[in-house]
Amino acid sequence: MDSREMRSQIENIDTLPTIPSILRKLLAVIEKPKISINEIGNFIANDPVLTSRVLKVVNSPIYGFPGRISSLNQALILLGLNVVRGMLLGVSVFEAMQKTMVGLWEHSLGCAIAARIIAKKKGLKEPEEVSVAGLLHDIGKLVMGLKFPEEYGLAIAEAQKGHIFMLDAEKNQFNISHADAGGWIALKWNFPQNLVEPIEYHHKPHLSKVVPLQTAIVHFADVLTRAAGFGFSGDNFVPAVHPSVWQLLDLSDEDLKDIVSELEDSLGQAEDFLFADE
Amino acid sequence: MKRVSVELLKPGAKLAKPVVNDSGMILIGEGTVLKESHIERLHSMNISTVFVEGTAGPSKTREELLAELDARFKKTENEPYMQTVKRFFKEYIEGMDN
Repeated sequence: MDSREMRSQIENIDTLPTIPSILRKLLAVIEKPKISINEIGNFIANDPVLTSRVLKVVNSPIYGFPGRISSLNQALILLGLNVVRGMLLGVSVFEAMQKTMVGLWEHSLGCAIAARIIAKKKGLKEPEEVSVAGLLHDIGKLVMGLKFPEEYGLAIAEAQKGHIFMLDAEKNQFNISHADAGGWIALKWNFPQNLVEPIEYHHKPHLSKVVPLQTAIVHFADVLTRAAGFGFSGDNFVPAVHPSVWQLLDLSDEDLKDIVSELEDSLGQAEDFLFADE
Repeated sequence: MKRVSVELLKPGAKLAKPVVNDSGMILIGEGTVLKESHIERLHSMNISTVFVEGTAGPSKTREELLAELDARFKKTENEPYMQTVKRFFKEYIEGMDN
C-alpha cells in the first residue's frame, strides 16, 4: 500500500465498526470547525461516564489544580475550549488505547504531565494547551492499531523481539509511522495547528513551522516520560533528544533538575489518582 | 491498593483501608489523606504497615530502578545531551528515600 492509499484508509477511520461509540459520537461534535462552549458542555453533560472521566482528569496532576474543579462549566472556563476538546478525545479513546497497546494511555498521560511542566518552566501562557498536545501525540498509534490491527500487532511484536524502536518497526511494516498517521487524522478532525504539528512532528521537531516551541516541548516530554519509565509506547528505550530541541528549549541544569523532580513526583501521584478505581 | 511500611509512608498518601487496633476499633478512617501527625501516631502505636491507594506493585529497590534506567538509555546514551538527561533521573533515584 502506498502512502496515499494509507492516508485515505486512515482518514476513513470514523466508519470503522470497532471504533468506540463514544468517540464516534464525539467526532460528530468536534469535527465542526466552529463549536460553542455550550455545545461541548451539553455533549459531555449528557454522558455521565464521560463527565466523571473528564472531571477526574482535570483534577489530576496533569492540569495542576488537583481537586478544585467540580463542574464541567468550571473546567471549560478554566481550561478553555481547545483543551477540553482535546482532553475529551483523550478520555474517549482511553479503552481503545489500552486494547491497542497496554500502557499507551499511561504513556500519553505522562507525556501530558511532562509537557505541562516544561511549558510552565518556559513561561508559556497556556501550558494546558501544550499538555493536550502531549496527551494526543501518539494518537497515530491508536488509529493504526484500530485500522490495521493485525499488521500493527506484527509491528509491536517486531519491536519487542528485535529490541528496536516502535517507530522503526512501524516503518518496516507500513513505510509510514504513527506520527504520519497522527498528523493526517489530526488534520481530518480539524485540530488546530498547535495540536497538528506536535502530533505530526514529535519525532522530527525541526520540521515544525507554525508552533516550533510547542512541538519541541512535546518531543522533549516524550523523551522524559520514557526516561522516567512511565507507561509503555511500544518499546522500552529512551529516544535521543533532537539537538534543535535542546537548543530551542535552552534549559539550565537547574531547570532540568526541577523538571525531572516535579515530573517524577507528579507521575507518582498520577498513578494513585487515575488508576485507583479503574 | 498497596501495602506500605509505615517507615516509607509519606504525607499525602491516602488510606485504602482503615487502620484498626487489636480490638478492631478504627483509629484512622479509610480515605484519610495522611498528614505528618498521622504518620507519627502510627509510629507511636507500633503499627508496621498500612494499605494506601495506588496500583504500583511491590516497590523496587534503588538498585533495580537504576538498572532499569541504564537499560532504557542503552540505545541512545552516547547521543548528544543524553548523558545530561540521564544524570538528572539518576540523581532523582539516588535521592529517593527507600
